[in-house]
Formats: sequence, C-alpha cells, structure tokens
Amino acid sequence: MNVLKYAAETFLFVPFAAIVINNVFSKKMMEKCFHLLTGAVALSQIFATLFCIYSMDARGMSRFEFFMLEELYENDREFFCLTPVTLIFLLCIGIVAFVSVMVAKKTIDAKKTSYVNLLMTLIIGMNGMVMVNDFFSLYVFLDVVGLSSFVLIAMFRSRKSLEGSIKYIIISELATIFILTGLAFLFMQTGSLDYMDLNSSLLQNSSEPQTMLLSLSLILILSGFFVKAGAVPFHSWLPDAHQSADTSISILLSGIVIKIAGIYGIYVLTDLFSGVKAIQTALAAIGILSIVAGALLALCQSHFKRMIAYSSVSQMGYILLALSTGTTLGVVAAVAHVFSHALFKSTLFVNAAAIHEQAGTLEMDEMGGLEHRMPVTSFSSVIAFLSTAGIPPLTGFWSKLLIILALWTAGNPVLAGVALCASIFTSAYFLRMQKKVFFGKTPEHLASVREVSGSIKIIEIILTAITTLIGILFPLVLIFLQSRGIL
Amino acid sequence: MFHAVSEWLSGGVNLLLCMVVLPALFGVVLWMCKKSHFLQTLLVLLSSLLNTLFAFVLYGMDDFVFNIPLTTFGFAYSFRIDAFASLFLAFTAGMFVLISLYTVVNLKKQSYNGLYLLYLYISLGMINGALMADHLGILLFFWEGLLCTLFGMLLIGNRDHPKAAMKALTISGLADLLLMLGILLTVLSAGTGNMSEIHALSLSGNHIVGFVCILLGALAKGGCMPFHSWIPQAAEDAPTAFLVGFPGAMEKILGIYLATRIVTELFVFEHGTAMSIAMMILGTLTIVLAVAMALIQKDMKKLLAYHAISQLGYMVLGIGTGLPVGIMGGLFHMMNNVIYKSGLFMIAGSIEKQTGTTDLKQLKGLGKKMPVTAACFLVFTFSIAGFPGFNGFFSKELVFDAALESHVIFYIGALLGAFMTALSFLKMGRSLFFGAYQVPEGTPPLRETKAGMLIPMSILAVFCMIFGLGNTLPLDTLLAPATGIQASFSGWPHSVLLVVISLFVLLLALLDHLYGSKKDGSPLHAADHIRHAPVLKHIYDAVEKGWLDPYHWLMAAMGGFSDVCVQVEKGIGFVYDKAVPRTVKRAGLALQRLSDGRLSHYLYLAVGGMLCIALLFWLL
Repeated sequence: MNVLKYAAETFLFVPFAAIVINNVFSKKMMEKCFHLLTGAVALSQIFATLFCIYSMDARGMSRFEFFMLEELYENDREFFCLTPVTLIFLLCIGIVAFVSVMVAKKTIDAKKTSYVNLLMTLIIGMNGMVMVNDFFSLYVFLDVVGLSSFVLIAMFRSRKSLEGSIKYIIISELATIFILTGLAFLFMQTGSLDYMDLNSSLLQNSSEPQTMLLSLSLILILSGFFVKAGAVPFHSWLPDAHQSADTSISILLSGIVIKIAGIYGIYVLTDLFSGVKAIQTALAAIGILSIVAGALLALCQSHFKRMIAYSSVSQMGYILLALSTGTTLGVVAAVAHVFSHALFKSTLFVNAAAIHEQAGTLEMDEMGGLEHRMPVTSFSSVIAFLSTAGIPPLTGFWSKLLIILALWTAGNPVLAGVALCASIFTSAYFLRMQKKVFFGKTPEHLASVREVSGSIKIIEIILTAITTLIGILFPLVLIFLQSRGIL
Repeated sequence: MFHAVSEWLSGGVNLLLCMVVLPALFGVVLWMCKKSHFLQTLLVLLSSLLNTLFAFVLYGMDDFVFNIPLTTFGFAYSFRIDAFASLFLAFTAGMFVLISLYTVVNLKKQSYNGLYLLYLYISLGMINGALMADHLGILLFFWEGLLCTLFGMLLIGNRDHPKAAMKALTISGLADLLLMLGILLTVLSAGTGNMSEIHALSLSGNHIVGFVCILLGALAKGGCMPFHSWIPQAAEDAPTAFLVGFPGAMEKILGIYLATRIVTELFVFEHGTAMSIAMMILGTLTIVLAVAMALIQKDMKKLLAYHAISQLGYMVLGIGTGLPVGIMGGLFHMMNNVIYKSGLFMIAGSIEKQTGTTDLKQLKGLGKKMPVTAACFLVFTFSIAGFPGFNGFFSKELVFDAALESHVIFYIGALLGAFMTALSFLKMGRSLFFGAYQVPEGTPPLRETKAGMLIPMSILAVFCMIFGLGNTLPLDTLLAPATGIQASFSGWPHSVLLVVISLFVLLLALLDHLYGSKKDGSPLHAADHIRHAPVLKHIYDAVEKGWLDPYHWLMAAMGGFSDVCVQVEKGIGFVYDKAVPRTVKRAGLALQRLSDGRLSHYLYLAVGGMLCIALLFWLL
C-alpha cells in the first residue's frame, strides 16, 4: 500500500519539486536544460501512472483513496482518490506534457524558465483536479488550471496572443461564475460537496431533480463545464486562444486542458447525478451540435491550427455523446476517445509546429506539395487524420466504434447514426487539409523547405507508432476490460 | 519406397487435394520454362499422366466425403468422390493428356504459349475441383474460377479486339449468375448445400426456380442455346487450341456433369412432366438451329463451332427425356462427342498450322498431302454423322429411341439434325480433302501434320472405333455403374426400323449433296440451295445480321439501361459535386459569421447556450 501511496503522491510533489529546482538554480543554467527538467516530470508522471494501473489491477482495487500530509486533516475522510478513469486521464496528461516539452525545446526561444513554472503549475492543477474527492477542491484546482493557461497563452506578449488570452479569461470567468454559483446552490441543497455525500444522498435515486434550486445548480455547473470543454455554442473562445498561442502551448490546451477542465468535470457530474435524465439529454444535444458545427466550421478554415482547434470542438462532441449514455460502456468509450484524441490531436499540432518551423507559415492557401519535402510530417499527419476519421485499425477507430456501440446499446440508434455520418465531415476537412498542405505542386517560396529535424521529428515518429500500435493491439485492451468485468 | 508411395496413393484425400492444387503449380512451372519447348512437352506429358494416374486411382476407390476442417459461418468445405464423379474425373484426365499434348505442340513458337499453358492448367484444377465438389458453393467457386481462366485464354490471342472474350464473359457471366441464384435457392429450400445430403427434391414451388436456374447455368457452360453465341465468335478470334480444349471437350464434360447430377440425383425429374418437355424442346431447338447455321459456314472452325453447339442438343434431348435410355444415350453421346469433336478441332488446328488458314474456299484436295489427317477426319466424320459402326451412331440411336418414345416431333427434329450434320460434313470433307489440290498462295510445300499433333488425333480416332464396335466398354463397364442404371443398352440397336430410318436419312443427305454440288458446281457450294431456298433465305439473312443472337438483344437492352444510368449518374454527380459541398460551405460560413471575434457576441452565445440548457431542463 505504501509504494502505491508514494507513487500517487508523486503526481503533485514531482511538479512542485520541479518548480523549486527551476527557481533555485540560476536562470542561465535552467534555460539550457529546461527541457530535461520538464521532460523528466512528464516521464515520471507517465511511469507513475503505469505503475499505479499495474499495482491497482494486481491488488484488484477499483479505487484507491489516500491523504497527502495526513496531519492537516481532522476528519477521517480521504482527500484524494485514484480510480481507473482518473488514471487514464493522468496518463494523457503525462503524454501530452511530454509532447509539449519536446516541441517547446524547438519553438520556445525566450522565457523558458517561465514556461517551466507555468507548465508545472498547470500539471499540478490538472492532476489535482482529477484526483480530488470533493467538488469545491475540484473548483480550486480548475482555477489553477485556468490561470496558468491564460498566462501560458499570453506569455509571449504578441498582440494576437494577448487578444486570445483576454477572450479566454473573460469567457472562462463566466464559466467559473457559473460553476461557483452552481456549487453554492448545490451546497445549500445538500450541505456538503463531497462526492461521497452527494452520491449517498437521495438525489441520485430519483429521475428528476426535486427542487428548483438543484435544477438551477445543475444547469449552471453544466454550462460552466461546457464553456471549459469548448462545446458549441460555448466554444467561441477556443479557436482564438488555441490559434494565437505558441504551438507547444496549443498542444497542451487542445490536447488535454479542455478535457480535464471540461470533460472530466462533466464526467463527475454525470457520475454523481446519473439518474437525472435532463443532463443526458443536454449532453446528447450539445454533443451532436458540437460534432456537426465544429466539423462545418473546420471545413471553412484556412489557418492550419485554427482548423485543428475546430476539429477539437467536433471531437469533444463525440466524448459528450458517449457520456450522455450514462452506461459503463459509454464511460469506457469516452475515456478511450479522450486517450486517442490526446494522441492524434497532439500529432497534428506537432505537425503544425514542424510546418511552422520549416515553412514559416500556417496559412493553408500558401502551402502545397510538402509531401515530398517533409515525408515524416506528411506521413504522421496522414496517420493522425486517419485515426481521427476512425479508419481501422488505428486507435481512433476503436474509440469511435465504442462510442457508436455505446449509443446503440443505450437505445439511441439515431444518435449512433448521426455520429457515424458526421465522420464523413471529419474526413472531409482533413482531406481538404491534406490536399492543400501536402499534395499538389510546391509553390516557389517553399521550394527550399526541408524535413524538420531533432525533437519534433522524433516525437512525430513516436506518436505515430503509438497510434498505430495501440490501434493494432486494441482488441487486447478490450479482452482485458472484459476479463475484469468492466465491459 | 514403393510401399510409401502406394500407401500415399491409397489415401483418397491426398489425391483429391493434389488434383486441385498440383495443376496450378505445374502451370506456373510450365509458364516459367516457356523458353524450352522440349522441357515443356516433357512436363506436360508428365503432369497430365500424373493427373490421370490420380484420377484412375480415385476411380478405383469407394465413395467418400471429405470435409476440409475449416468452418466459416456454417459453410462446409466438402468434397466427395462417388462413382459418377470419378468416372468424369478419369475421362477428363484422359482427354486432358491428349489435349495438353496437342496444345503444347500446336502453340510452339507462339509468344503466349507459357501463359496459355498456365491458364490451361489452372482450368484443369478448377474442373477437377468442380467435379469433386460436394457443397454446391464449392462447385460454384470452381465454376466461376473457370470463367476467369476462360476469359484469359480467349483474350490471349488478340488483346486489341477482345470481342469474343467480352461476349463469352457477358454470356457466361449471365449464365453463372443464374447458376448462383439457382444454387442459392436450392440451398435455402433444401436446408443444406451438400449434394450428398440433397435427395430427390420434388419439382414444385421454390424448387422449380432453383432447378431451372441451375439447369440453365449448367447447359450454358456446355454452350446450349440461347447461351451459345460466343462460341462461333471464339472460333474466329481464339487460338484453335482453345477450341480443342474447351468448346470441344471440357465445357461439355462439366455442363453435362452438372445437368445429369441435378436431373438424376438432386431433383425428382420424371419423363413426361412439363419440365422434361421444356428441356427436350430446348435440346431439339439447339440441334436444329445450330446445325442449320453450321450448314452454311464456309470456314472450317466456325462450322465446327456450330456443330459443337448442335451436338450438345442431342445430349440435352437425351437427358431431358428422363428415361434411362435417354440419360444413357445423352451421357454416351457426350463422351463420343468430346472424342470426335476435339479431334475435329485438332484437325482444323493442324490445317491452320500448315496452311495458315481454315477458309474452305482457299483449301482444296489436301488428302493426298496429309493422308493420316484425312483418314482421321474420315473417322470423325463417320462418327459425327452417325454412320453405323462408329461411336456416334450408337449414342445417337439411343437418343433417337428415347426421343421417339417421348414424341415423334422430337424424333423428327433429331433426324433433321442428323440430316443436316451429314450434309455439312459431306460438303466440308469433299471440298477439303478431295478434288484438285489448292492452297493459299505463298504457302510452303504442304506436309503431313507434326507427330505431336498427329498422335492425339489418331488416338482419338481409334477410340471412336473402340467406343463404336466395342460399345460394351463405355456403356456397360463405365456408365452403367456410374449412373446406377441397370438395363443394358450395349450392342447393336434393338429396333431395326430406327436403324433403317437413320440409314435412309444418311442416303437422303448424300443424294441432296450430289444434287447441290451439281447445281452449284462444286462440293463447297453443295448446301447453297438450302441457304437460298424461298423462306429459309430470309431467316438466314436475319441470323447473319445477328438479329436472332440473344447477345445482341442483351447489348441493346444494356444500351438503353446505360442511358438511364448516365442520367441518374449525372443527378448523383450534381448532388455530390455541387449541391452538398455548396450547402456545407454555406452552413460553415454562416456559423463562421457567429464567431466574428467580438467578445460581447461570444458572451451572448455562452449565456444563450446556458439558457437553452435551462429550457431543456424545464421541458423535461
């Protein structure tokens, strides 16, 4: 038990230690080896998660609750908790952070130490969010995530990034207002925000919220998390913020932050109030709206990163749709899609970084024929695109399949059909991107472009390999889940 | 060593699998050593004799069913050897030795000989597979596989004008579609696809459609009307070796095999039923119409091609009677026909090899220069015309017997066919081998056919006589145990009257021929007075223009259909290319206008979204 507890504690202590190290040593020295520090943190997170998954499975535990610094608490309720879902989210955080570091090594020139500080704060915030055991702590960590993201976007003080950051702050504050008010109403109703208390209270057994107050609180909390997740029609901040940030930051925002800040919150909400039909309906409606509108919007973008950002909106819709079923299969599907989305979205942003580094532009109309000049980038983007579109045997295929199966078995064949058809849009906007960027003739000003080198190239190869390998081995995952009685 | 070999040979399953797989492997090897003619000939002899050995060992074995231990969705990969199938296998194997030997010699120095042999051997594997298949689905697989190699062999000679290949593919494809449909219906209604488990389905309801579809598919493989028209086309385009192997032999074997199987085993097919009468009508029509076309041909290969169709009619007529004598006669006629028809095609091929043409107008009096060939031709002609003592006579008499027992009209049709057959062969034989010597200009001095081609021909000619006078062998020793028909039909025909009538018909043909050649001046034009007879003239004109060719009807219908398709395609194209992209683009742009970068709008949107969710909660 002790080893597991130490492993769990690293999720918070290691990033914190990294902040200390970063600020204790001289700035010059840290600028030289910032990527080693942050990369080590990300890797430690990945390995700690894998270890936790392994040892929890070996001991047959479905949840592991623990204190951190026991003496601070007086009651006997544990403050943190690890569950399989949490662990997958933690794994995604580790992977995306690692990718971001690999890209940042190339793209970030100045303010490397601030990047380290902010990234570590962001990781602490996200790790805390998924590990805590009550709603208010979740809100606190959510704000940590929000604040570090704002600064990360605005860090380089270009006009565009400041604008994007301001928009993000304003809309995000609206979300926090929603969530805080909702939590206050919930507290008035139940007297506690601990998951256990909420779970054991009578609320979840009835199919309808009994009081006006509870309904209001659910509406507000849900809306707040929708804003954070960037679901349509709460999405408008997302493309601006994701486009204007440095690509290494965009990877974080698009790959993981919207999922932790938005999707994870919604997951907790659906988990606690699984009996409330209105939540499921709202999720399904917003999900479908996000899928279709996000895809349509992605289809008419001309900026590479903006298009990928809209694609994120569309993919969030799929995850919401999976959560709307309220079944175990739905949760498994949602988590699987979170994972595969983290992989392919990171890949695409890494491609964006590579193109930006080599070609100096991200306007798709100015590009063309990069296929032969940047074969690795081109290939990895094709794999990522195929995974997004759900082509077997890549990872994205399986998670989408699970989502459609979940919808089907939950008695929503129409939604399953729509989700399936919307995949055509996904293929459409990615094909358009491929055609504009990688196929066709190379314009003259790009004639001297060459393949990106170093860390970006390595991470492209790694991500592509993971996407393909996990896709091919995914049946094993399903067999594993089945053997544990989850599916 | 010897012990191990004999042990291996006694395992029926080994042989069965080898007969399907080995031909393809041999084909590949033959294809690779296309440079060396000697090696090729040796390999062809070796492999075809090996195949014959396997087939004969299987023929000596008891019946067995073998399932390949693979199951996909309840589909059984089952093969079966029984007396009937193994007889056909042995006959095919024996014929294949001669055919492949002839082919390899005939195609020497052709650029495509390696590839042709590859196709030929794959076809052998397919034919073996189809004959050994127990599950109808497996049979269909091999049957369709044969279509592919057939297409390849037709295409091989002239890739630029693949008219015959296209025609064959269209017609055989259609027939195979019917077969597939029939098999599907039969399997559905019988509840199993294994032929060994289907017994005597009554011909009613669903079964009728299934039966008719399978029967048509089977007969179409043999070239029955109305699925015949690609064969004369192939006679113009395809290598002669192809005519020897396929329209001459293998397709008859396969088609009659399946037709007999379903008529005698799978379904209850009785004499005098509507289905029997329909089949007999089909047979008689095929006899008369095809031979009438054969009569007026001036090209040897084309004339023979029409005869290949016409002779199938006798088999269909015989089997269609549903009487033991008819079935026996049909099967016997199939064997005889395969023997003399492939022999005749072989002669056509050798003449083409020596003179460069098979046009009867340019070839005259070859008999003195090619005496052995002429002798073989004489034997085959006597056989096909049904001259007493030769094999064709005995099988035709059996079919006549059965036809007369059914209705006199079928008998008359069959006699008419015999009359015209004799007429057309008199015409061809007299002008080709007798009279003054004439070959196209620039032909090197004419010599006898090469030994490699002469040997198969002569063997076939010998068999014509053995199966004629010694007809106890094929009828009592081979066919009777295979079909399970007890009565003996060997020896001379029992009815003297029928023999006399047949002889009278032959005499009549001779008289008519003499009259015709006197009237029009040469033996070649002996049949012209029939061609230009008052009513027949118009019918012949119409046929020569292709008006009665179902393929042309099919093509015309296809033309109309494709016009409609073009319009539909245009509509669909508009939806895909214009309508959908425009709608999507407009929708995207409309949404784009909502996110115009103004913060206040974003806030309105978010609050609006929140209100919508509130509305949803309130509604539910």
